[in-house]
Amino acid sequence: MNLDYTLVMVALGGALLGALSGFLGTFAVLRGQSLMGDTLSHAALPGIAVAFLLAGRDPLILLLGAGIAAWIGAQMVRAITTTTRIKEDAAMGIVLASFFALGIALLSYIQKRGDASQAGLDKFIFGQAAAMTVNDVLLIGIVGAAITLIVLMFWKELKLITFDPAFAAANGYPVRWLDLLLATLIAVGIVLGLQLAGVILMVGLLIAPAVAARQWVNTLGKMITLSSLLGMVAGMVGAVLSGADRGLPTGPLIIVAASILVLISIFFAPGRGVIYGWWLRRKQHGLS
Amino acid sequence: MAFLERLVIDLLLRFWSVEQLNAALSDPRTVALIVGGLVAVATALPGVILLLRKSALTADAISHSVLFGIVVAFLVMLALGADPDLSSPWLIVGAAAAGVITVVLTEAIQRSGLVKADAALGLVFPFLFAAAVIMVTRYIPNVHLDADAVMVGEIGAAWANTNSYCLDHCDEVIITPEHPKAEVGRRCLNCTPGGITPRDPRAQFEALCANCGTYSAAEAWRLRLIDAPPALIFFPRAIITVGLAALINVLFVILLYKELKLSTFDPALARSFGFRPGLISLALMALVSLTAVAAFDAVGAVLVVAFFIIPAGTAYLLTDRLWRMYLIAAVVGIVAVIGGYDLARGYLMGFEINRLLEMLDKLIGLGGYTEWNVSISASMVVFMFLIFLLVWVASPRYGLISLMIRRRWQQLNFGTQLMLGHVYNHRESPNAPVECAPETLHEHLNWSQRKTSRLMALARTQNWLRIEDGLITLTDQGEARVRAFREG
Repeated sequence: MNLDYTLVMVALGGALLGALSGFLGTFAVLRGQSLMGDTLSHAALPGIAVAFLLAGRDPLILLLGAGIAAWIGAQMVRAITTTTRIKEDAAMGIVLASFFALGIALLSYIQKRGDASQAGLDKFIFGQAAAMTVNDVLLIGIVGAAITLIVLMFWKELKLITFDPAFAAANGYPVRWLDLLLATLIAVGIVLGLQLAGVILMVGLLIAPAVAARQWVNTLGKMITLSSLLGMVAGMVGAVLSGADRGLPTGPLIIVAASILVLISIFFAPGRGVIYGWWLRRKQHGLS
Repeated sequence: MAFLERLVIDLLLRFWSVEQLNAALSDPRTVALIVGGLVAVATALPGVILLLRKSALTADAISHSVLFGIVVAFLVMLALGADPDLSSPWLIVGAAAAGVITVVLTEAIQRSGLVKADAALGLVFPFLFAAAVIMVTRYIPNVHLDADAVMVGEIGAAWANTNSYCLDHCDEVIITPEHPKAEVGRRCLNCTPGGITPRDPRAQFEALCANCGTYSAAEAWRLRLIDAPPALIFFPRAIITVGLAALINVLFVILLYKELKLSTFDPALARSFGFRPGLISLALMALVSLTAVAAFDAVGAVLVVAFFIIPAGTAYLLTDRLWRMYLIAAVVGIVAVIGGYDLARGYLMGFEINRLLEMLDKLIGLGGYTEWNVSISASMVVFMFLIFLLVWVASPRYGLISLMIRRRWQQLNFGTQLMLGHVYNHRESPNAPVECAPETLHEHLNWSQRKTSRLMALARTQNWLRIEDGLITLTDQGEARVRAFREG
């Protein structure tokens, strides 16, 4: 066996992160929170830059910074929509673009300092799987396992607030806390995925596997499994392709791979897809 | 485009001399402010309509898909052997069309019901953006379209990308032997060393012109064949591109003022008047796409979203009138462009950021690098965000402070109403001495003593109630107030 060590790490990291994104993306898609994911990922950028300025390039600290900034962004969206008449879509647009701009400004300051260690920050914009080390993969594995465990522990509750929050509230479930728990899990997943897919395209990795999986199956359990699998495939393919050719950023490759899966699903899924729709209409037309 | 540039130059020359104009147009700050200001106007106006229609994220979507259009148009022009140029009208129209088509396609996907609306947005546009980024990094060998420019544009370099126009002394100079500047010599045809010399009468000559030929105006001036330099104007290309976009948008919101207003606030009524809101919304998409393409070179594909939404959101917090919203949004955009340029260079309204960095360097250590010189377009957006935050806090009508004051006022108002109502109910009952005693009133209202005495003081200064013989009684105004409250 002559497997390149870096390539194995890249493939492993890509697969794990893809699976995690697909797993959490299922909830984001079903709850109609796709664009909140976009906002969170863009909002994380200044946090990464500030964390780097304060504490250097320890991956754990960078992720912590990303998480804090994303959290502030989410709170700001909530504050704008509750205290003004600006609607959620505009509030997300304002926060997303402002935080991203702040991040870019800070990154250009860091870049001009010209110390060699800044090289690691660019990967957060378009993603760079080639930079993945065994520590990163371990971190992803541990956090991913923890997230999966939490979701399984609260499976019934999360399922309930996803499909019928009013019923959950009526039955005395702490809907607000469960909402917060789920939002936090999704935010953690996004922050972890940033180094693979980048802040601009992370939303695609979150959404695409779940949308593709939704075309094939009709229960939450099956959807979450299939979505994780599809995310794993997309993450691995994108990471390996960009690992083999370092000129290409990882994020875009993963998104293209995932989008191809979505296209196939939308067209070919039995009982739901576009081709099935055509076939059904032709059949009905023939009968009448 | 060239015709328009010439027109603008002629207009400007009525006010300034060629030298002044060239000095201004080769100053990076001036050009960046002109281009940025025009971008701000061009984006703020459709941004207002997008915000009011609750489709602010369409701007986000379009800016991503427009990048795809730009890259494809770029590649097509390369394949056709043409020199692709981001200010070429073909490229702009092609890319804008791609933007519109993708938006329409996304809406079709949403209507199919297979994918939820928000997921369709989160799906199609990342895909187009991803494909565009791959094509840029792989197939486009061009410094003007790299991954960095895709994100933030190059407004700081707008002054360097110019078309030159010649105004005077521009003609080609043809030097013939008769021309006064011709250097005519003669050459001996039959001279031989040691034989015929040029002084020999048998020598035959031909006339020879050393510098005859055709020269461009610039060459002719360099060789001093003409007396005055050609008067050239170097005109930054971006100005016309974004200027045209600004003009079209201004005309759009002025000429279609009532159509836009009605189809935004009451689409059903607009339809019944025959205004065709569908057509107007398509025109809006086309315009947003066109504007995003025109602004791409200056501020990139991602930050342009901020230019669309933030000024409009700021204006929305300040006024209820549509035309004022247009005006305020444009002004906010322009102010942010000016403030943002200086912010990028390290000045925030007279404050030097370098000082802050030096302080931070001592406190937490920034590696001794204390020069704040960052992306210009990103700083413009940051400044825009600062204006938004300021307005959010301090807007007289919709700001946080006025919201707090209003809530406080409502609390007080409601409290005094309750107190007056209580006194009113018990004024003639036998247990009035108990219910309406100032010392025990708080027990009956179930309030704290502090709140009760404060509200009681307030009601007394308003002359709604008075305290006589240890008993609270209502004044005539107080009674009128209670009755007015109950009736309406």
